Amino acid sequence: MRPEIRFFLNGRPCRLSGLPPHTTLLEWLRGQGLTAVKEGCAEGDCGACSVLIGTPRRARLDWRAVNACILMLPQVDGRAVVTAEGLARGDGSLHPAQRLLADTHGTQCGFCSPGFAIALAALARRPERDDETILDAIAGNLCRCTGYRPILEAARALPVIAPAVEEAEIAATLERDCAQPLDYRAGGGRFVAPRDLDAALAVLAEEPEAWVLAGGTDLGLRITKRHEEPRCVVSLARVGELAAVGREGRDTVIGAAVPYADALEAISALAPSVGALVRRIGAAQIRAVGTIGGNLANASPIGDTLPPLIALGASVELASREGRRTVAVEDFVTGYRKTVLRPGEVVVSVRIPAPGAATLVRAYKVARRIDQDIAAVSAAFALSVEDGRVTRARVAFGGIAERPLRTPEVEVALTGRLWSLETARAAGEAARRAVRPISDVRGSAGYRATVCGNLLERLWWDTAGPAGVAATLDALEGAP
Amino acid sequence: MSPPGGVHAAVAHDSARKHVTGEAVYLDDMPEPKGCLHAHLVTSPWPHARLTAIDAAAALAVPGVAAIVTAADIPGVNDIAPAFSSEPLLPPEVAEYVGHPVAAVAAASPAQAREAASLVRLEATPLPALLDLREAYEKKRWVLDPVEMLRGEPDAELAKAAVRLDGELMVGGQEHFYLETQCALAVPQEDGDMLVLSGTQHPTEVQHMVARLLGIPQHAVAVEVRRMGGGFGGKESQATLVAGIAAVLARKTARPVKLRLDRDTDMTVTGKRHDFLLRWQVGLDGEGRIRAVTMDLAARCGWSADLSAAVISRALSHADNAYFYPHARLRGLACKTNTQSNTAFRGFGGPQGMMAAETMMDQIARTLGRDPVAIRRLNFYARESGCDVTPYHQRIEHFRLPSMVERILASSEYSTRRKAVDAFNAGSPVIRKGLALSPVKFGISFNKIELNQAGALVHVYTDGSIRLNHGGTEMGQGLLVKVAQVVAEAFSVPLEAVKITATTTDKVPNTSATAASSGSDLNGMAALQAAETIKGRLAEVAAARFGVAASEVAFADGMVRAGNHALPFAEIVQEAYRARVSLSATGYYRTPRIDFDLAAMRGHPFFYFAHGVAVSEVAIDTLTGEWRPLRSDLLHDVGSSLNPAIDRGQVEGAFVQGLGWLTMEELVWDGEGRLLTHGPSTYKIPTGRDVPPDFRVELLTLPNEEATVFRSKAVGEPPFMLAISVWLALRDAVASLGPAGHVPQLAAPATPERILGAVAAARTAGGRR
Ligand SMILES: Cc1cc2nc3c(=O)[nH]c(=O)nc-3n(C[C@H](O)[C@H](O)[C@H](O)COP(=O)(O)OP(=O)(O)OC[C@H]3O[C@@H](n4cnc5c(N)ncnc54)[C@H](O)[C@@H]3O)c2cc1C
Ligand code: FES
Ligand code: FES
Repeated sequence: MRPEIRFFLNGRPCRLSGLPPHTTLLEWLRGQGLTAVKEGCAEGDCGACSVLIGTPRRARLDWRAVNACILMLPQVDGRAVVTAEGLARGDGSLHPAQRLLADTHGTQCGFCSPGFAIALAALARRPERDDETILDAIAGNLCRCTGYRPILEAARALPVIAPAVEEAEIAATLERDCAQPLDYRAGGGRFVAPRDLDAALAVLAEEPEAWVLAGGTDLGLRITKRHEEPRCVVSLARVGELAAVGREGRDTVIGAAVPYADALEAISALAPSVGALVRRIGAAQIRAVGTIGGNLANASPIGDTLPPLIALGASVELASREGRRTVAVEDFVTGYRKTVLRPGEVVVSVRIPAPGAATLVRAYKVARRIDQDIAAVSAAFALSVEDGRVTRARVAFGGIAERPLRTPEVEVALTGRLWSLETARAAGEAARRAVRPISDVRGSAGYRATVCGNLLERLWWDTAGPAGVAATLDALEGAP
Repeated sequence: MSPPGGVHAAVAHDSARKHVTGEAVYLDDMPEPKGCLHAHLVTSPWPHARLTAIDAAAALAVPGVAAIVTAADIPGVNDIAPAFSSEPLLPPEVAEYVGHPVAAVAAASPAQAREAASLVRLEATPLPALLDLREAYEKKRWVLDPVEMLRGEPDAELAKAAVRLDGELMVGGQEHFYLETQCALAVPQEDGDMLVLSGTQHPTEVQHMVARLLGIPQHAVAVEVRRMGGGFGGKESQATLVAGIAAVLARKTARPVKLRLDRDTDMTVTGKRHDFLLRWQVGLDGEGRIRAVTMDLAARCGWSADLSAAVISRALSHADNAYFYPHARLRGLACKTNTQSNTAFRGFGGPQGMMAAETMMDQIARTLGRDPVAIRRLNFYARESGCDVTPYHQRIEHFRLPSMVERILASSEYSTRRKAVDAFNAGSPVIRKGLALSPVKFGISFNKIELNQAGALVHVYTDGSIRLNHGGTEMGQGLLVKVAQVVAEAFSVPLEAVKITATTTDKVPNTSATAASSGSDLNGMAALQAAETIKGRLAEVAAARFGVAASEVAFADGMVRAGNHALPFAEIVQEAYRARVSLSATGYYRTPRIDFDLAAMRGHPFFYFAHGVAVSEVAIDTLTGEWRPLRSDLLHDVGSSLNPAIDRGQVEGAFVQGLGWLTMEELVWDGEGRLLTHGPSTYKIPTGRDVPPDFRVELLTLPNEEATVFRSKAVGEPPFMLAISVWLALRDAVASLGPAGHVPQLAAPATPERILGAVAAARTAGGRR
């Protein structure tokens, strides 16, 4: 085991010890004088604190923008970190992302600008420059001054940047220096990042109070907003078994520590509509680290992946020192932020069966804002339609009770019926009666119930409505 | 010919390169002075309560804690009211809202200060709290006496009118959400003086208030601000709170103290845009021409007056927007609630007043079954027909809207698209589109006449380089570069020759807030005047050297010329130095032609008007109330723009901010007066995807008829209100679901929930689907 955090910062190797493990990357960077990294919210929602994180992969670095405000310092162990200061070259010339932002008048007050430079620098590594990709790349960065138009212009003009030669070297150094798993202790806290599941389960058995950490996009807020200081954190992010995406027969198996960004392709292949929903979870910075495993275990009533996983009949594999078991996702969450997980038990993976050819799968998220917003309600449907008749239906809603729910009442109202607008409306009525939402800042109970019902109508227009009729805003020509 | 980077050039923001690399230093980025302490606020958990005890024993026991201050620790006068009085920095007796700072702790680290603050025990007797705007309006709970703007005989004319309509609208408030939260650093100096680095739009006010709080003369306090990460009005009066608390703690501990509000604290403690309850009655002739209007504009001021009187005055003077009301009575009501004290925010009441006018226009057009654009044009101010006097009795001159509307109707292909939208809706059961045009006429000058003055200080050094100072502050709007362009133009030197510096009260005293869009109008003129003074002296020097009359000397291309003679600027400067001629001058400017009687609400408060017009198209989902912008065309009047790139940025940024205000930004308090939306996870401002995918912005650059600085026009606030077109387009989409003549009931912000409610109401009103 290795007692010291090792990473690269703006091209230079760094070794750290002595700082409490709950120190955020943002706090530490600013303390180092790297004040391009700004605090705008300390909750992952504004992007002012964006930095690039490079992960060694196949002898090079895979760069993504992340939010430094909700990242614990030990989470960057084995990674390369670049701040806006580090984007500019040694000779003082700006990175193209920076130059373009300045040249297009993409800065006004400038407080958001280093964060945008980082978001664009991450984009520069990718070949696509269509507006969808660009908007995805900057959706996690708020700007209150410019109205974004010049920033989009800068992004469109951004050249594709090839990896620098040093990167292979840095990747190799990191792999070598961090070959031993991290077991970091300082200031009364401990942060362990085992490489295999047994080791992780062993630490969890000896540290019953430990936080199980995947991406930390939920846990990070307990540090920055509730000011909690964990005594022990067990990170699953480096456990090999949890980091893989694979196919087993007709099932897709996604490791619990796979960030959304890496799971997206497999999910989109399974059901494009679910892929589109995953693209709306948080924003790029959140999806770079946040995981489905974390979303499940967090068991929030508005967890976006739960309704589609329930509708698709997915299951989770759990493991503890006592052994392994498999639980259907619909049975996994038992109440408000409650799951069947026992002490010392973790989620290993999610298994999603491929929907049949005759199955229509749709996932809808209804929120005030398109990007980086929490749903007022969400819904997912898997409907098998044969000869115009619904033969099988699985329906689940989120944001409508203390946990996401499957609604058998709605399924009954659909099954065996002609797939018609009348059926959809009747099922909508059943949905309205079945859900028990609350009122909060994201919507009243009445609004939520109405929308749940209306989403069945949308489902009909979307899957069976006449050609040429737009069923959703996304289907509208010329819409963003 | 202009020098490179003179006026009218689209040069970049002076700090653009520093912004993107992170070299631009914001207050919290500065290295902290030795021994610097960090402060944290102790705030009231009650909306209204009489404080009986503040027990700091546990807090003081936290390691690193240096001091706690309450009202009792303020050595001078405990009042930071920007316009009136009795607005204590820390309340001595009564806490008036949840979040009201009642004490503050200073400790060696921010974490220690936070922990200590959480350990301060407050005891209080709760008092009845009033939290709701409508309730305050109905119970007549005011923070200030009602005001009235009156012209003609509105009651008699209303009674006679062929058609009478009345309406009501709730318009929500808005959080500034400057990306940089409020911050101040107070550093004690010798002699008991205080240096305050403050993120403020109003350094003079911070200076005067800190002096008052500490009981020392104003000359003993210096306030400096280099840049802010956004202000939008939120750092006008309310920055004083933060700076004041830092200064009081610094005085008590004799150490530097920094107070930086985290986002949640900032949103919980500081005031926002006023939400308004708007009510009107309008009388029309048979054609839809307005005969008389009466309006109540009731603003939620929160617990104190702050700048509310001026906000309401501007709301009243913009409740006409671009329309002639022959007879009008507009009442402004300053409602008191136990919530944050609302304050300046881009537009300063103007947007809310204009929402009354535009909603009324929409209602008139729909009720009469007339085209909304035609009804607007019919009611525009018109000099020829004598329809040119505002409710505040100012005569409208140089009204640009008729031709601007003409132009945008053509460039946006309005009538073709109107038909296309109607055709789309006829065949679209789920998604509906809406299209709307809205004009803006915004008065430029502070309503409070004394504020319309500014000073500047210009030094020329012997190498020909120039150092510029003025009272305006930089919050992203590009003021410093614009004023530098003015000075570069005056001396005809390259922009790089002019050094932009921090704004400090010890260089230019007694300045006004950088507000009311007036920054470049006022400071640009003051700087120009200073430059002209020095130029006059240099011309004398050159005249003597060349043997010509001073009137023959010209400054061009970095040279000073007369006839066949020419010398580089720097050489004439050196010559002046040798001749013992002063190379430093102050400049001063006061806006001409304005007067306003605040009690009678009449006069000529505005030097001139800035105009704009927008056409927006949107789509709504009638099943969920979600919506998308599709296209917006903006035409905005900037006069002879000092910097078209900066001005375009102001227009676009203001529009998107306005779009957020009217659609997604919603402030929610619970029944105990706690603000629930105190961070970006719950308070949603627009992201890149919320901007119209087809966004066409055009600047109208006709010279200002009034003699403003190089005939430019103010641009900070006016384009904010172009976003009303988006809100009207949403109403238009909803209206397509109702019967003919249906007037959608849609409050602002038009959240998906409100849109869906309006959709349901339109459908139950019967008729088309
Ligand atoms: C700005 C922002 C935007 C967000 N937007 C969305 C959104 O749009 N939709 C949405 O659904 N969520 C959203 N979230 C919440 C969060 O990103 C997701 O829930 C994410 O999936 C959490 O994953 P994580 O890996 O970061 O979890 P972590 O924070 O690491 O963990 C979350 C919880 O799960 C537990 N846990 C994690 N992994 C395991 C495991 N393998 N076994 C057992 N327990 C485990 C942890 O102990 C913790 O209790 C957002 C969060 C932020 C900060
Ligand atoms: S500070 Fe806002 S996302 Fe990190
Ligand atoms: S430039 Fe001010 S927030 Fe983006």
